[in-house]
Amino acid sequence: MSYVAIKGGGRAIAGAAAVTEFLRTEEGLGNTCTEPPEPLKIDAILHQLRHLVDRVISEGGVYHPKFAALAVKQSLGDTLEAAFALRAWRSTRPRLSATPPLDTSRMRLIRRISSAFKEIPGGQMLGPTPDYALRLLRLDLMDESPEAFRAIAREWLETCPDAQLPDSFPKVLDALRAEDLLPPVSATRQQAAFDITREPLVFPVPRSAALATMARAETGSLLGIAYSNMRGYGDVHPTVAELRVGYLPVTLPHPVTGEFTEAGEVLITECEVVAMYEAEGGGKPVFTVGYGACFGHNEVKAISMAILDRALQKGMKDGPANPSEDPEFVLLHVDGVDSMGFASHYKMPHYVTFQSDLDRLRTTQQKSGEPA
Amino acid sequence: MNMERKNWIRALTAHPATVLNALADQLTADCDVKLKSLPQAGLGLLTLTDGAFHEPYYLGEFPLSSCSIELALSDGRRAAGGAQVMADDAELARSLAILDAVLAARFPGWERVSAHIESGALSRTGEDRRRRAMLAATRVDFAMLNNAGDDDDEG
Repeated sequence: MSYVAIKGGGRAIAGAAAVTEFLRTEEGLGNTCTEPPEPLKIDAILHQLRHLVDRVISEGGVYHPKFAALAVKQSLGDTLEAAFALRAWRSTRPRLSATPPLDTSRMRLIRRISSAFKEIPGGQMLGPTPDYALRLLRLDLMDESPEAFRAIAREWLETCPDAQLPDSFPKVLDALRAEDLLPPVSATRQQAAFDITREPLVFPVPRSAALATMARAETGSLLGIAYSNMRGYGDVHPTVAELRVGYLPVTLPHPVTGEFTEAGEVLITECEVVAMYEAEGGGKPVFTVGYGACFGHNEVKAISMAILDRALQKGMKDGPANPSEDPEFVLLHVDGVDSMGFASHYKMPHYVTFQSDLDRLRTTQQKSGEPA
Repeated sequence: MNMERKNWIRALTAHPATVLNALADQLTADCDVKLKSLPQAGLGLLTLTDGAFHEPYYLGEFPLSSCSIELALSDGRRAAGGAQVMADDAELARSLAILDAVLAARFPGWERVSAHIESGALSRTGEDRRRRAMLAATRVDFAMLNNAGDDDDEG
């Protein structure tokens, strides 16, 4: 494949940007609504489109909710473009520090469920979820008044229980491990993690590279490959030991005292699955396990990642038996910015390469006696 | 106020950055501020321990600002302060480092810093309470179909 530089088109490119901006603000002409139109406020995107923002944070790989909301606004809701803009911003920032490995059992939870056990230590709490809701359109939101909108949160706060609950909860996997039902923790857990933002993936890669790649992968890509495993091109058959959503305190050493100090917190989703048991090296059989986590509240992504983590472990150990067990296939095809960039580049002028294709086709047709 | 120094940043950042910057400016009107490390805004890398095998990996990055300072009063007293805060705001990190030093050394105005920490902590407590309420309001105890009663039964 060859490329050729092109020139010209400057006015059209500027015009395209202006047309896009016209469409973003067209509501301002007042032709389509009765209320005075207002631009989307960043705070409104942050709160009312929170799953969209979470997705961009996660796929952009930077926990910056405000800039993620801004990226959603400027991209007119295109998550791939928004994640791209967030990644572009992060590439301009210096790396100042890295946290020590943080323990997610310290999360300030807003949701915690298990499909493995009816009762888990600390209890199950559904938190904010549409899991048990009917997927019917709520037509009452079509014309929601500001008064009604404000009243909902106020009334919930007035009636919500004053809960006596702990700040953190034990993990289901720890209980299973204490009963000797899980493999031991990794012997390589003291090794430094692989930084995918600084090092290219050269296979085979350590598991930390796979986890980091999937943590910022595009949700649909992860889901698609995990789904292939669930439907038959794989054998994970997972049970969700625990799925938790909450705010993880981010701690760093205090510049003067060196004591670990909370610098802020990040909302994350974490999923731990147990799958078919096996006996390692003729030893006692134990469940296999998979792990997924990502920035923001994105349960489908965390579950998909946990399934693929388990599938990739099998592929790395025994050799891949299907695409979802192949580290190279999975890890090189789940990044949204990479894959969107490649797909989009086909829109760019390919005049020289296509001219070459035409020439070759005509020559081949002439040689085979077909009419040119 | 007997909150540990490691919790001051969380409490203070419950206030808007403009409030903290203004407070730091007022408290340093009569003292020298020497930068031990320049106020910087950049990124931090978040390392997590995975729940399955307890291996470290990088979940992603977050905006991080940091600064270290030393305050000097005209009577010769000195105090060191520092801050690392999850924000893309070097000025905020400098202000937090100043407030950290003022309170740690009980420099003039420390009572105002202490009051901001107390009110900020109160605000954080309210936030934690709302999150716990989300859990409490949705606590579930699914019953098996063959068992009588479930958590929706009254009484």
